[in-house]
Amino acid sequence: MCPSCAVCLNCACPKLFLTAPFLVGRYLLCEVIVPDRRHLLLLDDRAVAASVREAVARVHGDYGAALCSSRFSGYRSINWAPTVLSLSSVKYLNAHTGIVFLRFPKRCYKLLWSALPFITSIEARGQSIACFLNCLHVGGTIRTCQKFLIRYNTQQLHRMLPKCKNEEEKQQVKKSILKCTLTKGNRKGLDFPSDDDED
Amino acid sequence: MSVFMDLNLNYTTDKSRMRSLIETAAHLGFSTVAINHVFEPTAKKKQRTCCLCGNTCLCLPQGRSRPIRVLNRLTVVMSDSSHFRPNAAEYRGFDLLAVQPTTEKLFHAACMLYEVDIICVSVTEKLPFFFKRAPVNGAVGRGVVFEVSYSAAIRDSTRRRYTIANAVSLMESCRGKNVILSSAAEKPLEIRGPYDITNLGLLFGLSDADAKDAVSTTCRSVVLHAETRKLASGIIYTMKSCTESSTPAAKRAKPHLT
Repeated sequence: MCPSCAVCLNCACPKLFLTAPFLVGRYLLCEVIVPDRRHLLLLDDRAVAASVREAVARVHGDYGAALCSSRFSGYRSINWAPTVLSLSSVKYLNAHTGIVFLRFPKRCYKLLWSALPFITSIEARGQSIACFLNCLHVGGTIRTCQKFLIRYNTQQLHRMLPKCKNEEEKQQVKKSILKCTLTKGNRKGLDFPSDDDED
Repeated sequence: MSVFMDLNLNYTTDKSRMRSLIETAAHLGFSTVAINHVFEPTAKKKQRTCCLCGNTCLCLPQGRSRPIRVLNRLTVVMSDSSHFRPNAAEYRGFDLLAVQPTTEKLFHAACMLYEVDIICVSVTEKLPFFFKRAPVNGAVGRGVVFEVSYSAAIRDSTRRRYTIANAVSLMESCRGKNVILSSAAEKPLEIRGPYDITNLGLLFGLSDADAKDAVSTTCRSVVLHAETRKLASGIIYTMKSCTESSTPAAKRAKPHLT
């Protein structure tokens, strides 16, 4: 699936559409860090998007709020993206690991990124979860962010290996490490969006 | 891979909080942190003994194989020139020395004369003095860096304005060189990752390269500068086991620092 137009890559995708300048963006791969991991499961994409927008409005005022919501009106929702609103800047959220992909327009992504450190809590399901966002990677497309995420998850699994308490956990972690691949086409391994390779 | 450092983690007596603070810093990718003991001479007569908390926490920073390095730092908040006594014996236990001057005269003295590594720029109040080019250039020539801490900005909205205002006026005088950005974090939720801090540096008026240096290279030069304070004429390093030995090239005073 070409991320910039909801057309399968195998079909002829008009070059004009692919290189249209208003469609480029920057994808920020962020990790939500909370002191208690159980609170991570309460997160959903709307809560994260709302807190990002609120932080940008708080730090950069009306100008920032306007930049955050400027989108190409023809952007179609893609089937595999778990977001309901296609205009949302949260493109992917994994509640088990706290990984979130944010999309910003290319001309102003640094300004909007500078508002992210000021997020101190996220309001989700009526509760206020104290947390902060740590940006891991900036990519031009979702695919580059996916590749980075696979390498990052593999590293995290390697770090978890010494902490395993028994042999069975070790075997599970080793199996997950070997499963982490991004193959073209059917995307086995890191089964996007539902990750079952971490923790 | 750059080496990222956060040279200002506030000391609290709660050991478990300190431990989780250092673990969070390691998780975010900082390879070196410094625990900051703030000393205000007006508050107490005697210097409290620094509990160099025996940090045997072997947390591994992201992407590194060596455990995180924890240094000790002392910040003296000066409102009078008698508060900072150079070469005092109590300062030897600390790896890094910092001062926070509150008047223009003290700022000038700290930049040109005092043997410190870091000059803190206050972020909780409007600066009572302006930065002049002459002392700032003198400090840059000596290898002293200026520090802006950002966690006050995260906590509070009025402090955010003071932080940005003071930081911007500092950048105008020093042109973005010899600046470090650090959190003055008391809780693990107040630290931010190194790439986020680099981006915050853009808000303060640093260029892209300067902002990244503020978290990596300049911090490393501060730590080396601090080591040279303990060296005798820059080449002899006394080890605690009382044997004198000449230092390897990495530990000698660098020409651009002196």
